[in-house]
Amino acid sequence: MSEVDMAVIKPERLQICSQMMNSYICLQTADGSIQQVEQEVAMFCPMICHEVIQKGMGSSKNCAISLPQRVNPAMLSLILDYCRFHQVPGHSNKERKSFDEKFIRMDTKRLCELTSAADSLQLKPLVDLTSRALARIIEGKSPEEIREIFHLPDDLTEEEKLEPLKNTTDDPRIRLLNRLYAKKRKELKERQKLKNDEVEEERADDRSVDDLLSFINGDNGDSKGNKTSKSKKKNRKRKDQQKSTSTNETIKNHNKELNGLNSVRCSAEVGQKSWATSNLLDVEDDIFASKNELDDGDIDDEIDPALKEKIDRNGHVILEFHFKAWCLIFFNCLVIENP
Amino acid sequence: MAICYDKQREPSRLPSKTDAELDWISNLPGHVIDQILSRLPIRDAVRSSVLSRKWRYKWATIPCIVFDNQCFNVSSQDQTFIKDKLVNIIDHVLLLHNGPIHKFKLSHRDLLGVSDIDRWILCISRSSIKEFVLEIWKGQRYKPPSCLFSCQNLIHLELFNCLLKPPLTFKGFKNLRSLDLQHVTVTQDVFEKLISSCPSLERLTLMNFTGVTHLIIDAPNLQFFDIGGIFDDVSFLNTFHLALVSIGLYVNIDNDENNARDNSSKLLRFFVHLPHIRRLEIQSYFLKYLAMGYVPSRLPNPCVDLNHLSIRIDFDDLEENTAALCLLRSCPNLQELEMLARPEEQTCIERSTNFWEDDHWSSLFAHLRMVKVSGISGVKSEMDFIKFLLSNSPVLEQLTVKPASQEGEWELMKELLRFRRASIYAEVIYLDS
Repeated sequence: MSEVDMAVIKPERLQICSQMMNSYICLQTADGSIQQVEQEVAMFCPMICHEVIQKGMGSSKNCAISLPQRVNPAMLSLILDYCRFHQVPGHSNKERKSFDEKFIRMDTKRLCELTSAADSLQLKPLVDLTSRALARIIEGKSPEEIREIFHLPDDLTEEEKLEPLKNTTDDPRIRLLNRLYAKKRKELKERQKLKNDEVEEERADDRSVDDLLSFINGDNGDSKGNKTSKSKKKNRKRKDQQKSTSTNETIKNHNKELNGLNSVRCSAEVGQKSWATSNLLDVEDDIFASKNELDDGDIDDEIDPALKEKIDRNGHVILEFHFKAWCLIFFNCLVIENP
Repeated sequence: MAICYDKQREPSRLPSKTDAELDWISNLPGHVIDQILSRLPIRDAVRSSVLSRKWRYKWATIPCIVFDNQCFNVSSQDQTFIKDKLVNIIDHVLLLHNGPIHKFKLSHRDLLGVSDIDRWILCISRSSIKEFVLEIWKGQRYKPPSCLFSCQNLIHLELFNCLLKPPLTFKGFKNLRSLDLQHVTVTQDVFEKLISSCPSLERLTLMNFTGVTHLIIDAPNLQFFDIGGIFDDVSFLNTFHLALVSIGLYVNIDNDENNARDNSSKLLRFFVHLPHIRRLEIQSYFLKYLAMGYVPSRLPNPCVDLNHLSIRIDFDDLEENTAALCLLRSCPNLQELEMLARPEEQTCIERSTNFWEDDHWSSLFAHLRMVKVSGISGVKSEMDFIKFLLSNSPVLEQLTVKPASQEGEWELMKELLRFRRASIYAEVIYLDS
């Protein structure tokens, strides 16, 4: 309505119109539709408030306040509902809180749209409310779940995902420690499998060599795997005695091999073991040597000597600790089984 | 324009038109995403970097970083391992963060006052920090580096278990509005200088401090003051806006020797600079402190704004009763009153048996609506007080009585039943101990 038109309207109508115009504000959304909203409700939004006061807009359909593009009619009605409730000063905090709780129960798409719309109208309390709701949705979920909920494209390449932004295992110390742990775990698993044998083996140590021979020859089948291995520590001690070719050593060497390689479960008889002996010596040396090389090689590539020393010390500590632990368990088992 | 899309998603497919249209959240403005991510625990916020290409660095601009006990789940007994991991995480986050940090909180129970914190504070002091919270749960007092004292944008500073020693060039925090120091060591001079050089200070909390014996609070904008500790003296200067005060003196002072030295009225001095006080809590032995020296029958200027008063009192101590009475007479608009009986350590020599029996006034409590009396055991002085309270408060709505123990409950209740009530709306609620 232009002012010229107003002049010809009858006084009563004019009064009503002006009253209406005073307490209603016209808002225009991006799609062109215009809504009339009660003034006190609309003024709750700072952006609308600014337009009305600073620029005098909104008093009629001609000069309706055009809202930002992010505010579509559905969102506008939601926002106005929010404003309508909150601009009333009489509500208690509890009431406001429970209204808010109910208000934000909507699907995530609408929640995001609402956040966007509220932000463009600078309605900070509503932005806070919706941000909190979105944060609650995101919290504690796995990336796949979050992508599912918000329809995010999974467009990071595998390398980018693995590239750590925040990766504590980047620390070479921790990586080495992890490797040592893994190695130790493997060894302990092996030891656990052979633990029962060790128990029996201890008992068998008192017997003479002949007894041992006959024992071995006698129970070929099952006890081979069980009995004929010893703990690594014992093997180590006997390393310097390997050169002699007594049957005792042979047996022990055979045990060493079984222990070291683990997968080799030859049912070779004692006689054949002499063949294996010389090979074993080499193989065993290789095993130990290669293990050391593995360690040294890795260390030299990445870390400086001072750090390496530190790591070695740490590594030893862990080995010692695990070894001690297993000794304890081992001896405890002995105690239990040998009353 | 209707868009049809297939509801079933296959995992990891290339972004298509429909996906981009459905993805509403990534296109929200940066500050809104910052808000959303700031509300997540730091771990979730940083993990958002693997969601999609757009999200890779969105977390790096969050203005609010909080490292607390929930920041990682590691149940390990090895303290050094946890410490190393925590240090590692904080180093990484601070290094990769890109933008101003407005709020920083570090409060992890396994973090000792290590020198790594110095490095982090230096990093943070370069980025216009506004709120800084540091809580060292274990170990000895941590001394923040001097770069903390150059953060002129600080609005809120909270330190727990720290040693404050600002550099000599420290001129105060011009924008500091809230200061919270608990379990801190600070010398007298440093403390005075700190308070007087923060002109915008509105809230001050001080608990369990060492090194300060005379509290001189010179803060013209101070509105909230909460202290608890051991001190000799407290005095306010220019605190005309101070509205909420809670003071606890955790040590029992000996009245006699102090009286001999100084006869000036602590009570008068205390209230001189608190004309607009609205809420006052006198805890532990502070009433004893106030009772030292001369105690008038009422204050020269009544506290007209005082509407909530809470006093910890020993009902058998004559001086404390006198001080309490003076206070009660000086707050005509009191609406809520709480009297907590201090458990007696030894029997008091001066037993004032008839203090509350005498009719000291008429219509004293014209606005008193809610009263709570706790920790009583049914002694005469206590019952006298309740009796007189009930008969002098015409608009009383609720009186809550909570005894210290179950002994003598029945007698107490029986007596309570007999007391006359000036208010017809008064409810007497008895709570179990």
